[in-house]
Amino acid sequence: MNPVLKKSLKIVLELVIYVGIFGGLLWGLPKGLSNYLKTPYPMAAITSGSMWPALAQGDLVFIRGEQTKETIAVGDVVVWRGEDGKGFVIHRVIEMREDTFITKGDANFTDDEPVGYEQLVGKAIALKNGKLFHIPYLGTVTTFASKQLQ
Amino acid sequence: MADTPNQNTAPSVAKAMEGKPVEPSFAKATEGKPNAKATEGKPKRGFAGWWQKTTGEPLKLRDKIVLVVFAVVFLFVFYVSLDANKYPALVRVIAGEGAVGVNPTDRALDFGDLAQGTSAVRRVDIQNGTFMPVYVLVWETGSIAELMDVDKKAFRLGAHEGTKIEFSTYIPASAAVESKFNGRVYLFKIPTFGL
Repeated sequence: MNPVLKKSLKIVLELVIYVGIFGGLLWGLPKGLSNYLKTPYPMAAITSGSMWPALAQGDLVFIRGEQTKETIAVGDVVVWRGEDGKGFVIHRVIEMREDTFITKGDANFTDDEPVGYEQLVGKAIALKNGKLFHIPYLGTVTTFASKQLQ
Repeated sequence: MADTPNQNTAPSVAKAMEGKPVEPSFAKATEGKPNAKATEGKPKRGFAGWWQKTTGEPLKLRDKIVLVVFAVVFLFVFYVSLDANKYPALVRVIAGEGAVGVNPTDRALDFGDLAQGTSAVRRVDIQNGTFMPVYVLVWETGSIAELMDVDKKAFRLGAHEGTKIEFSTYIPASAAVESKFNGRVYLFKIPTFGL
């Protein structure tokens, strides 16, 4: 085979492999996480400082889905969805009632309005020492990327 | 032994030993065109010599280009780092509602003593006294960086223009009383070279 053609084919093949790996990661990782953590929203980017110092702006946290009144407790950091279905909030549970629970951002002075259990999306994954598992700055990247894709 | 011509000797030298005049050819060999092989083995001086000694290979044109590019980038980064404005930044959390201590200095981004839920703003004037537009990058480091907001993090400043950068620090409810947050703020001014 012509050496130039052979080299070109090799470059194309490498390119296809790299694109395949990148695409696989981009598509497969969220899909895999989604299945493993049992939620359509396995990751959350922190866009405000309301949970500082536990979570800083730009952090990326992982969310475990299928949470109910029985599986969450006061002190847990949970993600809930607004009544209009838009927008997510990640705050700490400070009080649990019969039909609702109340959350508050660690850095906030005021509590959030009561939230129905049906609005619960999931619970932030914590390490054994109780600290939340988060990846600093990665949330900024994902937020930026999602804004560009919109 | 002295009369025996060395087989490795150049023909012209051999001829000289036979008694024939050889001066012109001998002079040509030594003065006119130097023997390439003879000069190749000669150790080079300076950087090229050091390079050859270290790497075992002579300095090639490609290496020279890479080294020059590297040196230019290094000098550029060095200049920008040296030219950057550096300010220490600090704040102390105090007890009380809405209490704002007065302790600012003009040498640092000193936010003084702030109670939870309060904030303070400090401004920095920046002037570009050069004829070249610069790209200004603001970089905050240290624990105060998480509490501090900057109104302009990256912007272009035209020639002989000036602007104000506003730094605001807010103390959230989760900040422990008597805790201190400090860090540094760097203002990098990168020449745009008309880009």
